[in-house]
Amino acid sequence: MDRASSSLIEDLAADLEPVRAFRARDGLLLTGAAVVISLLIVALIHGFWHGAIEGTASPFFYLGNGLLTIFGFACAASVVRMASPSVGNNYSGAYWMLAMLGVLPVVALTGIGTGDHAHDLFKDPYGLECALHGSAVALVTAVAFTGWLRRGAPVNANRAGLLTGLASGALGGAAYGLSCPLDTLGHVAIWHVLPVAIAGFLGRMVLPRLLRW
Amino acid sequence: MRADEGTLAGLMAKAQGGDSRAYTVLLSECSTWLTRYYANRIAPSQVDDLVQDVLMAMHRKRASYDPARPFLPWLAAIARYRWIDALRKHYRAGMDDLHEDSATQDSEEDAVMARVSLARLFVKLSPPQAEAIALVKIEGRSVREASQETGQSESAVKVNIHRGLKKLSALIEKAE
Repeated sequence: MDRASSSLIEDLAADLEPVRAFRARDGLLLTGAAVVISLLIVALIHGFWHGAIEGTASPFFYLGNGLLTIFGFACAASVVRMASPSVGNNYSGAYWMLAMLGVLPVVALTGIGTGDHAHDLFKDPYGLECALHGSAVALVTAVAFTGWLRRGAPVNANRAGLLTGLASGALGGAAYGLSCPLDTLGHVAIWHVLPVAIAGFLGRMVLPRLLRW
Repeated sequence: MRADEGTLAGLMAKAQGGDSRAYTVLLSECSTWLTRYYANRIAPSQVDDLVQDVLMAMHRKRASYDPARPFLPWLAAIARYRWIDALRKHYRAGMDDLHEDSATQDSEEDAVMARVSLARLFVKLSPPQAEAIALVKIEGRSVREASQETGQSESAVKVNIHRGLKKLSALIEKAE
């Protein structure tokens, strides 16, 4: 070892202070906290739809929001792990889950089973409002995960940004979905899934510069 | 003496708790490990700088190590990350030619080292990309020299370097 390296090692050791080590459990607790805060915000601002709570909403409502929630947690688990890099980590599961979620809008847009026409789905007067509110709620999770990743050491900022966006969009969309009384397949599959695409795009474009180290 | 995975993980856990003696031993072992790791993957004149860069990154991000998981794959991910960053930043024409690193030749390749090695990343690149990066970013040739040597146009060399480094970034945590 050369003298410069020895000197550096001495300096780093002298500068050492105890740190709280990364624990996946902390990240999962953070995810849970972000979801609870998102739900509280939705409850306070919009209120939950009684049909969702009483169990009288259509199956599409539960199917759509259930898939969004599971997808959101799958991406969240990847984001949590990304803070502690390791050769051998694999994040492909999140992309398979994304493909699974994509079945919803594909079925809605093709009108299979419903006979809906794609252009009618985009005339939904409440659609854009739902997508924007869902995206706004996604900010809670996005902020929490950005802080988590900045504390950690993600080695692929682009992927970390994308998955943070996808997780936030899915969990935000699902949280806001509980306040929305529109429970048709077309509405849920297009306008409540759209925050995933919006947040995923923004996460991929905006977050990498905050996550590089 | 080379410390094994379990010893390094234990030293890192102690270092996270503030044990500076364990930390000094750990950093010395990591310095040796990293020097071997980078052999033939960056110009010899840059190895020391890169090793020191990784040691500083380790120090800054030491909280990101999960004591419940193996240590060397964590170190290797950071080493790969800083290596790709160094390839991007440091292009210097006329560097010394690479020489064989006896440490690598003489030492016994253990399973962890093989699994996390940089060579694993290079085989994921297309041959023109690997060739362009090796010549320009590792051996320090100019784009023109690399173009003449490989038969690729100068633009192709630049594109292959750009795309190759982007691909390497996406593969940092990939083991296979």
